[in-house]
Amino acid sequence: MDFYLGLIQIIGVHTLLGLSAYCVLLTGQVSLAQAGFFAIGAYLAGMLTVLAQWPLIPALALAGVVSAAVACAIGFPALRVKGLMLVVATVAFGEAVRLFFFNFTYQIQAGALHLGPHGAEGFRQIRYFPENGWSTLDVVLFIWVVVALVMAGLWWLDRSRVGAVLRAVGEDELAAQSVGINITAVKVSAMTVGGFIAGIGGGIFAHYTTHIEHAQFGVVLATFAIAYPILGGLSNVFGTLLAVIFIQGFLIEGLRFMGDWRNLLFGGLIVLAMNVRPRGLLDAGTTRALKRLFSPGREQSGA
Amino acid sequence: MDLLDLIDAVQSVADGVLFGATYALLGIGFTMIFGVMHKINLSYAAASIGAAYASLLVMAVLPVPPVLAYVAAAAAGGVIGGLVYLIGFRFIPLANPLATLMSTVGLLLLIDEIIVHMTDGVPLNYPALFSDVIVHVGPFGLRGDLMFVFALGCICMVLLLLLLYRSRLGLATRAVSQQPTASLLCGISTTRVNVLTFVITGVLGGIAGAMTGAAIGMLSPLLSLPLTVKGLIVTVIGGLGSIPGAIVAGLIVGGLENAFQFFRGVSERDLYIMLLLFAFLVFRPGGIFARPAGRD
Repeated sequence: MDFYLGLIQIIGVHTLLGLSAYCVLLTGQVSLAQAGFFAIGAYLAGMLTVLAQWPLIPALALAGVVSAAVACAIGFPALRVKGLMLVVATVAFGEAVRLFFFNFTYQIQAGALHLGPHGAEGFRQIRYFPENGWSTLDVVLFIWVVVALVMAGLWWLDRSRVGAVLRAVGEDELAAQSVGINITAVKVSAMTVGGFIAGIGGGIFAHYTTHIEHAQFGVVLATFAIAYPILGGLSNVFGTLLAVIFIQGFLIEGLRFMGDWRNLLFGGLIVLAMNVRPRGLLDAGTTRALKRLFSPGREQSGA
Repeated sequence: MDLLDLIDAVQSVADGVLFGATYALLGIGFTMIFGVMHKINLSYAAASIGAAYASLLVMAVLPVPPVLAYVAAAAAGGVIGGLVYLIGFRFIPLANPLATLMSTVGLLLLIDEIIVHMTDGVPLNYPALFSDVIVHVGPFGLRGDLMFVFALGCICMVLLLLLLYRSRLGLATRAVSQQPTASLLCGISTTRVNVLTFVITGVLGGIAGAMTGAAIGMLSPLLSLPLTVKGLIVTVIGGLGSIPGAIVAGLIVGGLENAFQFFRGVSERDLYIMLLLFAFLVFRPGGIFARPAGRD
């Protein structure tokens, strides 16, 4: 049972990571910096609850806000470039954050223990959940409440004018600019929102694993972050959730019985999925078909 | 800093510049693929390492002299390059850059896993040529294997430039990279040019992989991610689509990397390379050899 609860936790946290990349991808930008924001959130939230004895929710909120501020500051220089240049710039940012934490040591003495991040050894003893008597089920519920809130927020955003503006910039930058949209402001805002979500996700990640280290936040995590929304499709937030379940639940855990061959299959299945469904697993056409299936009465002609 | 330290510093920078030839070749590969297809091939560095491993396989099966390892790596690189095009690019719509980006990520994972699967993840030694030669220039000693790597890299670059600027295939490649539609109307098969670009960059990548193996002394699947990041950085610092830029930037990154390693230690080394990249993006986003604005 604990195994499945752990899996549900992983899926929840990775959904947050994927949604943070989803925000940025909506504006047509490929950002591999999400692992960096995730790392900032993880270390900061961990330090706040362990070293400063803050309660969890204010710590997560502050971690999110700081990640968002960093994302905003990074957004201005990074979003001046596009395409490949932006990929490289954001990879470099993510790696710079990872290397910063690789060299970052800030420890305090608490009884017989040294608490706090310690360079390459990482940051152990983030024991907020067990110390405050949270059961695994409580943690699962907490994670999914946060995921549901974020997904609802993004769903609502998508239905509002803001979502239309984001997608307009993503579809055709030049056209969006010519109808008076400030594309720099839109891109930087999307990056900031993405940074906020990644920061919160990182904070939760740090607390349920209890041990974080720099190597967890490398390029691989960043590519996973963009893999979820791209594989799932950008038509709505559920695509990202579907892709996280597909990758974490099916490809990583479900195929564990295959041993060594699982990892081989993993890359191959991603390539195959992109060849067969280049617009993602849950693309606009599928979404429409599903909607028609569930509300036959309101079917519109020519939709 | 006294004289001995200064000598050591210059020595390590010189070693780094010689090793930078591999970064330059990788940067050229990324730049050429982007120039012709306007797509990013993230599996390129992994394919290069894969080609170097394939040459080790050839060496193990056939009793051939070490020189032929480089030829085998080049050939394997060409084959892998063609396969990468076929699997990751050919059947995905051109108008969907995100899907190709993701498929090359899948290929990157796949190639890495094939290597791990076939070698059990154990690093393998790679034969270096002239590793016992040291040329003394004043107080400095230049390692023979690094000099060989540098010379080989230079030969590849000269051959590539000749191919691009002195042959009909090069003319077609440059035409496709400037205006794909116009070149299609002129009777150039863009698919053929794309395949050949992948094969040519694959050959370069195979040689770069072999050179990395020779300079470091071993091959490991762990090399592919750092090389991907370094190759991309070289591409951007040199200027997207600029081959001379990739060459110069590769040598600069190689040299600076060793300089930072000498002054600040290996764990902080890459941090400064990233900061250098950011400085370039802010102050000179077009790279060293930025193209004049206003074209196309």
